[in-house]
Amino acid sequence: MKLELRATLEEVMRAVEALREFASAQGVPEKTTLGLALALEECAANIVNHAYQRSAQQRFQVLLERHDDSLLIELRDRGPEFDPTAVPPRDQRAIDQDGPGGWGIDLARRHVDEIRYRREAGENILRLHKRLVAPAGRA
Amino acid sequence: MPLDIQIQKNPTGENAAALTVTLIGSLDTVTAPDLERQLAPWLGGPVADIVFDLAQLKFISSAGLRVFSVTRKTLKERGGQASFLNLQPQIREVFDIIKALPGVAIFKDVAELDRYLAARQRSHREAT
Repeated sequence: MKLELRATLEEVMRAVEALREFASAQGVPEKTTLGLALALEECAANIVNHAYQRSAQQRFQVLLERHDDSLLIELRDRGPEFDPTAVPPRDQRAIDQDGPGGWGIDLARRHVDEIRYRREAGENILRLHKRLVAPAGRA
Repeated sequence: MPLDIQIQKNPTGENAAALTVTLIGSLDTVTAPDLERQLAPWLGGPVADIVFDLAQLKFISSAGLRVFSVTRKTLKERGGQASFLNLQPQIREVFDIIKALPGVAIFKDVAELDRYLAARQRSHREAT
């Protein structure tokens, strides 16, 4: 499933709703889906708030794909080059440094198995992989 | 998913500077600014303690955590705190990030909060 989205927070939540429906149709457990919804919201909100500074005429894409034993969420934007995977984990910083930034990528990291970033032809491409455990009774 | 925000001045009246805020639904990147707007007039007043009842909160993201963190900072500066009750498992996980911040207190339920407040009042009375 591929979504073309405008750079607004409402569109971020539209993508999150689409992910929920997609995951539910794929039989993904509710707890896993909640984690994926959180990861997608955090990454997409970063694009809207930082890459595009909430400029609503800008566009980004979200791709949702089910593979055999995993689910892939891919986000593409044409904002300035930014690698969220290079942001150091939160616990490496002082505890009172609780200003904006850092929490979102931490939450995304916790709920997926792998995050990969690449810059290609003027696009930021972020791929979130989540392994899916086979339902009981299936190999 | 929308967010329903219910704000009540402390119904028991024991602590006039306390508010109870009940959140129902999703505290996300779209709804967090609504909460911030609704809290602003109270935070501009003398309120020192806010109790957030999260029994019916289904989803929270970093945008929601940020509102909580700013709120607890304001309250802490006036000697109060932000208390959180009835965290559901999916909310508890996300709360890991802010649970250790100064000015944040997490309680299992209202009974645990009441015991804490009673103890705090006793120690306050003994100290004065």
